[in-house]
Amino acid sequence: MTASTTAEMSAPIAQQRRSGDGRTDWAGYLFVSFFTLPFLLFNVAPIFFGIAIAFTRWGIMGAPHWVGLKNFTNVLKDDWVAQAFTNTLLYGLIIVPGVVILGLIFALYVNKGWPLSGLARVLFFSPNVVSSTVIGLVWVWMLDTQFGLVNHYLGFLGIPNIPWITSTRWSLVGVSMASIWWDLGLAFILFLAALQDLPKELNEAAEVDGASPWQRLRFVILPQLRPVISMVITLQLIASLRIFSQVYVMTNGGPAGSSTSVIFYIYQTAIFRHLFGPASAVSMLLFTMILVVTALQRWLIREQ
Amino acid sequence: MSTNMKMSRRQFAKGTVATAALAATGVLTRLPKVHAADPIELVHWSWLSASDAEVWTQMIQNFNDAHKDKGVQIKMETVPDDQYETKVLAAAASGQAPDFGWGTAGLHAQWAQDGVIVPLDDLSKQVGLDLADFSAFSISSSRYPKYDNKLFMIPMDLMTIQPEVNLDHVKEAGLDPDKFPTDGDTLIEWAKAMTKRDGDKVTRSGIMMTGSAVQPTITWSIVAAQMGFKRVSDDYKTAAQNPEAGKQAMQWVLDLFDKWKVSTRDVTNRYKAFGTGQGSIFWTGPWTLNGYVQQKLNFRSYAFPKIGSTLLTYLEEGGMELYVQKDTGRYEASMQAVKWLSDNSLLWTTKGRGASPRTSIQNNPQYKTAGLPWDLRGAFVEGVSYATLNQGVPVLAAQDFAPYAGDNFLAKTLDEVWNNKKSIDDAMTAIQTKWQSDLDEG
Repeated sequence: MTASTTAEMSAPIAQQRRSGDGRTDWAGYLFVSFFTLPFLLFNVAPIFFGIAIAFTRWGIMGAPHWVGLKNFTNVLKDDWVAQAFTNTLLYGLIIVPGVVILGLIFALYVNKGWPLSGLARVLFFSPNVVSSTVIGLVWVWMLDTQFGLVNHYLGFLGIPNIPWITSTRWSLVGVSMASIWWDLGLAFILFLAALQDLPKELNEAAEVDGASPWQRLRFVILPQLRPVISMVITLQLIASLRIFSQVYVMTNGGPAGSSTSVIFYIYQTAIFRHLFGPASAVSMLLFTMILVVTALQRWLIREQ
Repeated sequence: MSTNMKMSRRQFAKGTVATAALAATGVLTRLPKVHAADPIELVHWSWLSASDAEVWTQMIQNFNDAHKDKGVQIKMETVPDDQYETKVLAAAASGQAPDFGWGTAGLHAQWAQDGVIVPLDDLSKQVGLDLADFSAFSISSSRYPKYDNKLFMIPMDLMTIQPEVNLDHVKEAGLDPDKFPTDGDTLIEWAKAMTKRDGDKVTRSGIMMTGSAVQPTITWSIVAAQMGFKRVSDDYKTAAQNPEAGKQAMQWVLDLFDKWKVSTRDVTNRYKAFGTGQGSIFWTGPWTLNGYVQQKLNFRSYAFPKIGSTLLTYLEEGGMELYVQKDTGRYEASMQAVKWLSDNSLLWTTKGRGASPRTSIQNNPQYKTAGLPWDLRGAFVEGVSYATLNQGVPVLAAQDFAPYAGDNFLAKTLDEVWNNKKSIDDAMTAIQTKWQSDLDEG
């Protein structure tokens, strides 16, 4: 066989290989299908089902009955839905700054290697590994008006007992406190990782130039942490707007709906009252709210 | 990256068939061999979780022991209370409903309409269950007038709400435990005598209450009914009759907190609070008795006082419902099981909870002596005679009317009154409007 014949024979083969004609990479599809099929079935399909149900009257038994926009008009007129949305936004406004600020403070403390920082690292993160139900049950007792630890220590400061979870004024704050304590761990770890990744030279240069610790924090460290702060705020905002377990365990949405969140309202409407149409309508409104709030937050903290 | 892992369509097809064949073989080898005389296993769902659950488990075990050689056994599954209804509906919709389970009279008109629960008149006759042995009231409560007045539940127990009183507090206040109040004024005097305060704050409640949810809702419901308020007319066409009585009852509950100061809104768990001596008078149901006895609390039950013009209290009737099955042949076996449990419910109504709705059980010489002492049980049993405020109103939106609830429409509306977020007049207007629209729906 001559070199030219070999070249002539290999050209079509090379062309065939280049175009990929006749051979499909089924192995790739097979490997991906183990995730894709369940994801489509259990995540994506229920979303479309929920959207469809929002326009119907359905209580599990029997076929859904089309009612058009009636569910949406009813929930938009419902005072309890309005209260649930207001409460949910308030949860976001209380929990997100609490988690971000405290998480950053704790991360700075551990990063500095101050006394007991090794133990602090474990203690600050450990609430994150406990289930939200346990957190809620423990905090119900911590916040008990008469016998709770929180009021006990506040009493040393001369502050009278606060009805953290039995008063319409304080119930939202009480639930938020438990949520901040639970969510702190993740924010702390993210901030700590980011701090440990920062180049030391910038900080040292600023110190040499005579910058105070506060100035170094404000003008050197925080700007570099901006991407992580933005991510933590986004994640925490979404989590806070979806708050449920703490509300369910600690206050059951009361008293008088003062601590009800949107997800809790949806749960009650769907599971207790079997009104899946209105519950789905509220879910869609919540989804829209989360989209808008998250987009707004990302725009406000966009990178320069 | 190299493409050495590419698979041809033929190879892919072979691999899929081989995998499917292996899976099928695995399934086939696991399939149980069916014998001609396999026992029927009836599936029973129960949401009981308090100390009465142990007694009910014993009841089921007794049935299984008695029917070991008779070809039928009950497999009981405990489902959390808050998930029970949704799970039954989902199971029924998919044709996998349990054979029978616990129900509450008057709450399942929607289920009767949707065919989730089956009518029991004919089945009762078929298995020889004597409905005449049941009190007329318990049977009529288990019927749904809007669905041919058919029977949809076999009553198992009748639970009333009565006051349980901490006898240590009674003694401490110098009161006579044999002379518990029978009217509203004396009740408040007793409560004031047993209440402890730190300045203006109640630290030990004379009357155990919470600031929201079940306790104030059931209190209002009982007091309102005693004062003449009616949730629905006898023909189920008019809602909230005599609203002025309902408003008076709301004021009575508010006065417990703000005027007489014998209760506090700061209690988070009323069961625990009474059990640990944070309250003196706690009206509740017989499901609490076993727990407080085990805690060695020194207490006694009494009859509910007459606060309004009529003596009455709340009644909750529990019983067995049969759920729709693909194989209708299972109904008879299920009904036989329900009949046995009902015929042998002496254990349940002496140690478990509630009074028996059956004359034959009430006439059993052991009825008053078995189980818990009569000074604990007696009030709950004797109170059935004047317990005419039902949990259920047999309409589709029954949940909106239920007095023993913490998060239904009624409780949420009243919560706003207890927490001074809504006036009494506005709350009554809201209740009238919603209930009337529920009745109009059917």
